[in-house]
Amino acid sequence: MSLRRIWLLIWKEFTQLLRDRSMIPLIFLLPVIQLVMFGYVIGTDVKDLRTAILDLDGTPASHRVVEGFTSSGYFVAVARPVDEAGVRKTLDGNTAQVAIIIPKGFADKVRRGQATKLSVIVDGSDAKTASVAQGYAGSIVANLSSKLYPSPAAKPGVTTPVGVDARVRVLFNPTMRAVNTMVPALLAFILMLSTQNLMSQSIVKERERGTLEQLFVTPIGRAEYLIGKLLPYVAVAIIQILVVFTVGTLWFKVPFSGSVAVLGVGLGLFMITALGQGMLVSLMSRTRYQAQQAGTFLMVPSMMLSGFVFPLSSMPAVLIPLTYLIPLRYILVIVRSNFVKGSGFVALWPQFLAMIIFSIAIFGLGLSRFQKKLND
Amino acid sequence: MRMPWNPQQPESCVPDSLVHSDDAIVVSGMRKSFGDFAAVDGIDFTVKKGEIFGFLGPNGSGKTTTIRMLCGVIEPTGGGARVMGYDICSQAELVRANIGYMSQKFSLFQDLTVDENLKFYAGIYGLSAAKFAERRGYILEMADLRGREKELTGNLSVGWKQRLALGCATIHEPRLIFLDEPTSGVDPTARRHFWELLNELAAGGVTLFVTTHYMDEATHCNRLAFIYRGRIIAAGTPHEIKDELARDTILQVEVADGEGALAALEGEPGIKEAYMQGAMLHVNVGERSAAEADLPSRLGSAGFRVLGTDRVEPTLEDAFVHLVGKQGGRA
Ligand SMILES: Nc1ncnc2c1ncn2[C@@H]1O[C@H](COP(=O)(O)OP(=O)(O)OP(=O)(O)O)[C@@H](O)[C@H]1O
Ligand SMILES: [Mg+2]
Repeated sequence: MSLRRIWLLIWKEFTQLLRDRSMIPLIFLLPVIQLVMFGYVIGTDVKDLRTAILDLDGTPASHRVVEGFTSSGYFVAVARPVDEAGVRKTLDGNTAQVAIIIPKGFADKVRRGQATKLSVIVDGSDAKTASVAQGYAGSIVANLSSKLYPSPAAKPGVTTPVGVDARVRVLFNPTMRAVNTMVPALLAFILMLSTQNLMSQSIVKERERGTLEQLFVTPIGRAEYLIGKLLPYVAVAIIQILVVFTVGTLWFKVPFSGSVAVLGVGLGLFMITALGQGMLVSLMSRTRYQAQQAGTFLMVPSMMLSGFVFPLSSMPAVLIPLTYLIPLRYILVIVRSNFVKGSGFVALWPQFLAMIIFSIAIFGLGLSRFQKKLND
Repeated sequence: MRMPWNPQQPESCVPDSLVHSDDAIVVSGMRKSFGDFAAVDGIDFTVKKGEIFGFLGPNGSGKTTTIRMLCGVIEPTGGGARVMGYDICSQAELVRANIGYMSQKFSLFQDLTVDENLKFYAGIYGLSAAKFAERRGYILEMADLRGREKELTGNLSVGWKQRLALGCATIHEPRLIFLDEPTSGVDPTARRHFWELLNELAAGGVTLFVTTHYMDEATHCNRLAFIYRGRIIAAGTPHEIKDELARDTILQVEVADGEGALAALEGEPGIKEAYMQGAMLHVNVGERSAAEADLPSRLGSAGFRVLGTDRVEPTLEDAFVHLVGKQGGRA
């Protein structure tokens, strides 16, 4: 082991990295672009839900209810069907995502202080929108009932076709801002994406050009080479995490109630896993294009089965066992719970245990395959 | 308790008795298999210090694999070798510190400048600052790169890249240099220039181990070995190898449709070997002068227009075709 040689390898790697015009934007801009993309386009609050309104009562009280929904900013009246069959049509035809039905005699019952029924029908085909819409409707109705009924004795009931418990979300994410759980998730996702890709690209490039072969004819040892290769990408990953964290908390105003230590250890373990994946990808690929493809191929199940895009709760039961094989699944629980609820090592020990096992297994496998490949 | 340090001589696959002090490389029964496939199938040869040793063979014959073993990059699956006195298995690091290697692709860092490449390799080989300054000056001079130190290596044309690669591979002044097809893809002028540099190095007593496809380059070598399908099928001085054909007659035939004529001659009586060499048809008629005399008329009557026939001295390429033919294969 020679520190001078390791240092030279690191210097060389950074010089190459900084000289590659496509690299700098990739390192700094990619996290921001993804943050904006996921944060705004996919992750932000569901807004302007297309709503069909069927007001069978047609009284000032029922108008107040309609206004309560439309003035919230979450619901936009796009259709006013005249009967229940019409409501059904707007939902089937995807004209509306939500329908609100105010029954006849609503105002009378309110005046007499009796319980009333208000139907909110949510199109469940988009699980995410559905659960968010349900949450909004719940809080709007609760707000309305306190205004409509001066006494707390009687309240209108809300019926909804799906029976998901909205209180969980409301408890930990009272504003229901999806971005609050999206930003922490992106910390882990971007870490995996860029560590794995940058690392495999750089190794494959070195092999493609024959410099790898040249390096191993010099006194550079395998361990020196690997350290010289890994450290720069660890540094890059740390920079990217800091970018996402800063933009997430300052720009997207995501409250951080966790601890840096818990987050750091979790992401550190996950980074080791990602570096191992990078090595494996580089071994599977002859060209940089292939490495890109292989990386994307690995990324898809991670995105789909980890709870990053689709909540695990809405996953088909047959897929659930598969999700346990995805390292991203565990780190997502760690970063999200730590960010939102401040959960620590004690509460998250099963996830940390899984992360330790994955990092040892995947990094170890990558390392041993890499060593073997070099010997052939 | 501390383990007693045991200054044991590392075990070697090559017995000391085989290794003389003037040997740069001693290879003994060395093989390398990838799965069932023997890329190098038990080879033996010796390279003397100060020699230019040419290692010739067609594509996929095992040249690069042999070099990689000799450089201590991969371990042989059988046999072994001593390089500059060091065993390639147990002393790979010492081997690597004492040799230079220039690969088929002259692997410089294309996205580093000329100076950065030099600085990198100098550091890797542990050169002192003073030594680096001296070597840098020498290499820039030798590669004709003065004034272009800050240029990206990727922007240099092939001839310069190749000379810079040689400079980087020899920055630590090794006494033995491996060159794997160092002139592939380089124009003839640059090739000549490059061989002048190699001859200069050899004149300074450096041993050169060169693989090549170009037979004309083989004549620069003091000694040659032909490798074919992982086995050495001939070794000796260029002269000795050409002597293989001393009793045969080689005819160079200029004919309009060379490939057609070649097909027509295949397996004909009195024709030992026939093959294209450049635009010319080369025919080995063995010792039979009868075939020599009637070859033009035979081709003529088969409908080929023969423009001329010459009896030529066998070239290395002729020898090579002959040697491969004897092995029951085709070059
Ligand atoms: N790592 C490897 N795994 C499997 N087969 C290999 C490996 N390296 C080389 N080979 C095979 O071994 C044989 C010899 O390859 P080698 O590269 O030594 O040939 P070469 O003489 O250098 O050819 P060229 O003139 O094309 O450079 C080839 O058939 C090649 O496909
Ligand atoms: Mg080769």
